[in-house]
Amino acid sequence: MTEPAIRVAGLEKTFRVPVREAGLGAAVRSLFKREHREVRAVDGVSFTVEPGEIVGFLGPNGAGKTTTLKMLSGLLHPTGGDATVLGHTPARRQAAFLRRITMVMGNRNQLQWDLPALDSFELIRAIYRLEPSDFRRTRDEFIEILDLGELVKKPVRNLSLGERMKMEFVGALLHRPQVLFLDEPTLGLDVTMQKRIRTFVAEYNRRYGATVLLTSHYMADVQALCRRVIVIHHGRLLFDGGLAELATSFDATKTIGVTLKDGSADLSAYGEILSSDDGRILLRVSRADAPEVTTRLLRDLPVADLTIEDPPIEDVIERVFADAKDERDDATAAAKATAATAASD
Amino acid sequence: MAGAGVNRADDERPDAAPRFDDRRDLLRPLRLFGLFFRVGALNELQYRANLAVQLFQSGIALGTGLIVLGLVFGQTSNLGGWSQSELLAVMGVHILMGGIINSAIQPNMERLMTDVRQGTLDFILTKPEDAQVMISVREFRIWQAVDIVVGGIVLAIAVSQLQAGIGVGAALIFALTLFLGAVMIYCFWLLVTTAAFWVIRMDELHELFEGLYQSGRWPVTIYPGWLRISLTFLVPIGFAVTVPAEALTSRLTVETLALAAAFAAVLFLVTRWFWRFGLRHYSGASA
Repeated sequence: MTEPAIRVAGLEKTFRVPVREAGLGAAVRSLFKREHREVRAVDGVSFTVEPGEIVGFLGPNGAGKTTTLKMLSGLLHPTGGDATVLGHTPARRQAAFLRRITMVMGNRNQLQWDLPALDSFELIRAIYRLEPSDFRRTRDEFIEILDLGELVKKPVRNLSLGERMKMEFVGALLHRPQVLFLDEPTLGLDVTMQKRIRTFVAEYNRRYGATVLLTSHYMADVQALCRRVIVIHHGRLLFDGGLAELATSFDATKTIGVTLKDGSADLSAYGEILSSDDGRILLRVSRADAPEVTTRLLRDLPVADLTIEDPPIEDVIERVFADAKDERDDATAAAKATAATAASD
Repeated sequence: MAGAGVNRADDERPDAAPRFDDRRDLLRPLRLFGLFFRVGALNELQYRANLAVQLFQSGIALGTGLIVLGLVFGQTSNLGGWSQSELLAVMGVHILMGGIINSAIQPNMERLMTDVRQGTLDFILTKPEDAQVMISVREFRIWQAVDIVVGGIVLAIAVSQLQAGIGVGAALIFALTLFLGAVMIYCFWLLVTTAAFWVIRMDELHELFEGLYQSGRWPVTIYPGWLRISLTFLVPIGFAVTVPAEALTSRLTVETLALAAAFAAVLFLVTRWFWRFGLRHYSGASA
């Protein structure tokens, strides 16, 4: 049994944020007397990640995903609990630790805006003190995989969003980190570019056995890359396991698609009708009933085509959060108030 | 490219861990400064028009300064014990230090504020380098450094007019006081900027400092006590401009030099502590 790459035990982060009502009067009052409120962004989360695993980190906005990633990369000091990454305590920010990790954030750039990416890569080489030969080999390898070619010689400001993101990835991985924290790395990219980035992450993981922790709003990213997902909501861990089990544990339904030989018929007796177009009818039935309903359909009706599928992962996720929502609605309101104050400050 | 026929053992194992240069390097901050200086120069050389603007600005500032100095000495031959050439030396130091502040100190601090606001400071904090060193050497505006040259020329003229002249010893002490002064101004700026971890917006700080800095055009010794003390210890302009000028005009006492050194050292330690304290409480720009 090898040492886990990431070990998190009872991790907590509480932010103390100023709160105030909307309006000028409240704004003036808050100049003199600030009211604060404690917001538990991460509330006792525990998990471990083995070396080489790619784990998807799911949760709605404000669930605590980014806060957790920031604690694991040493940016934030946890309020409570323990985090160990590659045997280091992230918050100590030791050079030996920082050299082995990286962070990619979808909406933020670290490359020099006015210069060709090649110049920024050189700077990164010097900061990480990489051996020139290692550096060149890695750089050229990434440039080839991502098909960047001559683009590295163009000023970054002249690149498209997708091209820039590819460059960011090259820059972030030049020191060949063993743990990758990817926070919405495909944000705003078109489908082809998302796919490209995904393939690159998968390839990097395969080649170097790196551990990847990924957050994304695009389920396609998660489905393509992660066999395991961790779902957090309101700072708490809701689920930790395989992507397939997520569907079984939170959405005990199957979707049956039926096409009839003689057009349409009313199938509402068999299950909940989700849609019905072009002669194809989608039925939602409980997982347990699926075999029996299928048998009945085949026996009773002139079936031309029949499929049984798991519900789309987006629907499952939605269901997970809808279930958890009722539990702590007021906490969400608090988090929103916080976000509004922070934005206006 | 790997596999391009280069005879390196590692080329056969592309998954070998990358090698880092792990030697201890005391000059690391200077090396990093050199690195970023290169990038900054690459950036700014693209905007040559800025040089013209800067030359124009420096010319105007120098012209006004000289005219005011001429006006004052049309009325009197000495101001608070300082002769005209001595005040020219003060002006030279003022321009020179202004050049250092505007090219090396202030741009870094403004960048730090922006980074805190936009969350891009995270990229600095995940680099295996001392974060304070990184945020302090990232920016250098080469065109603003024109003032360093202009200040140097004004100083040279002032010194050539002084009867006493200046020896190697005095020149070294002058350089030392200049360095201490720059350290103090840097600390002052970083202390105030670190507050950006809590108070996100501090755009007016720049103007406030600029205004205060103008008062350093004259030796702080001519100001009334409360103002002199504020301009020395609160905003260390006295140490940054007047003290180096004193070194040039044989006014500097050992006590003042010792005080400057001690104050710079203490301020530096306090600043470092406060910076680290700020980092611990940094909550980042939430995404």
